[in-house]
Amino acid sequence: MGSDSALERTVEKIIHNTEEQILSNLKQALKSSQDALANSHVSLEQEYDRIISEGKKEAEKLEKQIIGNADLDSRNKQLVLIEESIEKVFDKAIKKIQDADRNSDYSKLISSMLEESIRTIGTPDIIIQTNSKDKSVVQSLLSKFSGATLSNDVIDCLGGIKVQSKDGTMKFDNTIDARLERLKPLIRKDIASKFGR
Amino acid sequence: MSAQGGVQYSKIAEIKGPLVVVDGVDSAAFDELVEIQTTEGERRLGKVLEVGNGKAIVQVFEGTTGLSVSGTSAKFMGKVMEMPVSEEVLGRVFDGLGRPIDGLPDPIASKFLDINGEPMNPEQREYPRDFIQTGVSVIDGMLTLVRGQKLPIFSGSGMSHNILAAQIARQAAVVGTTDEFAVVFAAIGVQYSEAEYFKRSLEESGALKRSVLFLNLADDPAIERIITPRVALTVAEYLAYDLGMHVLVILTDMTNYAEALREISAAREEVPGRKGYPGYLYTDLSTIYERAGRLHGRKGSVTQMPILTMPSDDITHPIPDLTGYITEGQIVLGRDLFRQGVYPPVNILMSLSRIMKDGIGEGRTRADHQEVSNQNYDAYSRSQEVRALAGIVGKAGLTGVDLKYLEVGDSFEKDFLTQAVDENRTIEETLSLQWKVVSLLPKNELTKVKDKFIDQYYKER
Repeated sequence: MGSDSALERTVEKIIHNTEEQILSNLKQALKSSQDALANSHVSLEQEYDRIISEGKKEAEKLEKQIIGNADLDSRNKQLVLIEESIEKVFDKAIKKIQDADRNSDYSKLISSMLEESIRTIGTPDIIIQTNSKDKSVVQSLLSKFSGATLSNDVIDCLGGIKVQSKDGTMKFDNTIDARLERLKPLIRKDIASKFGR
Repeated sequence: MSAQGGVQYSKIAEIKGPLVVVDGVDSAAFDELVEIQTTEGERRLGKVLEVGNGKAIVQVFEGTTGLSVSGTSAKFMGKVMEMPVSEEVLGRVFDGLGRPIDGLPDPIASKFLDINGEPMNPEQREYPRDFIQTGVSVIDGMLTLVRGQKLPIFSGSGMSHNILAAQIARQAAVVGTTDEFAVVFAAIGVQYSEAEYFKRSLEESGALKRSVLFLNLADDPAIERIITPRVALTVAEYLAYDLGMHVLVILTDMTNYAEALREISAAREEVPGRKGYPGYLYTDLSTIYERAGRLHGRKGSVTQMPILTMPSDDITHPIPDLTGYITEGQIVLGRDLFRQGVYPPVNILMSLSRIMKDGIGEGRTRADHQEVSNQNYDAYSRSQEVRALAGIVGKAGLTGVDLKYLEVGDSFEKDFLTQAVDENRTIEETLSLQWKVVSLLPKNELTKVKDKFIDQYYKER
């Protein structure tokens, strides 16, 4: 009997200890799961913040890109429109020049062009080329420029002259077309300023 | 600009490499613009390099391929090469000679400026002091860029210099002001893919509308490369000094520029200097680099970031060597770091920003900036020595402090140096990372930093 009660006490003790152990383990498990839950809240919030912040950055980047490109596109379209208008102005001006009267003022202009050409080439011995409209104007001025001869060939231009030295090594283009071409950037600026640019 | 044009000469004596010798010329001027016309009517631009004895030597930018002595004529334009400038150049793409290649019309010019620029009166120069935040930690923290500085990137072939330059171009900002920032990018003999990368990168960040691109690609005429940096700098000067903008000029690749210079020099049969480059390479490079700066009484600034690839990664090569004499420091990219996959692979031990000290500190960045930067420099340098030692004796032979320095080296490369291509760090973030790196060391090892800063920023790890 005596040994039975000792056995029972031992069994009870083991059961008690096991119960305590299990309870303690359960408590520990509960605590660690609560901790894990609490921590996961923090890391979840951090992850959430990171995703939101990256999303914001990406959205800002996209916004910048869209606005930047839209600004540029509208500016470029404006540039094209202005250029088209400038070209129209040029076309009209060229038409006016083509139809201009070959009067005394025009003769003075050709005379100054001839002087300028001789000065630039550095010799009075020149051959002059011009278009069919200006041929008579140049012919009438030849007496003033000894050494200058008028070529029989006609050139295609709005007006003005092309000269070359008699040995053919130097040429000077003093046509209205060439002058227009050289001054085009400045004229474009003046025209554009009329459009508020 | 006048209506009067120049004389056209048809007596070509000789065509030699990129040079055309015109005979019978008596009134040409040095550096005068010349229009070469072929028999087919094609026009190419050039400039006078030498005049005398009735001859003029003309350097043809677009090359002399297809030109013949008979039938070719040279028209002397009576002016030097000019670049039309106005605010409209922003957002535009030009070729290496400054002609639009984006399908849009020529910009309507406010001014026509000589591409050689006007030399800055040294007395009128203002010392560069204002910090530019690039968002790249290693530059902002240890090689700080300031407005008006010229700071080149010395790289090697195939390394990530263009990615770094594009990142800087996208992110560069003047902190604490609303001043406008513009980017002028000059591609000198680069591949199409590289130029396209820059363009796309600026487009995607919305920075293209405040940028101007000049593209001379690898298959474009080499001689044109002589002009590209000059037209780019002319535009930059206009934006800076006339419109008051802060302009960052990126010139890549200056090695190609020097190669073009060598080609012309060889064709002129000049006495070659080191590696065949002309003896005036230093002087010539300085006419480009010295166009960076600020002027008293003018709001804007021109900051230059030339990129050059060192042949065989040789820093003693004449191009990086002479560049280093002119510029205010250099950012050197390291092949080892690049191979390890570190971006940006900046070798800080070989890099330097000479005027960094004037652009940082209290009121500009932060009071501890210089000291924490010095401490990082010192610690990283020591870590390199320890790495070498560990390679010989093994880690087991190192002391505890040595092992800490090894950790510092790793942390420096991993936490501070490495960053994403689109990561734009503030100066505060950069300085925090610098403290994070040196906080791996015991406090008594921080000999470059004042105690008050250690108390404030040191966080034991």
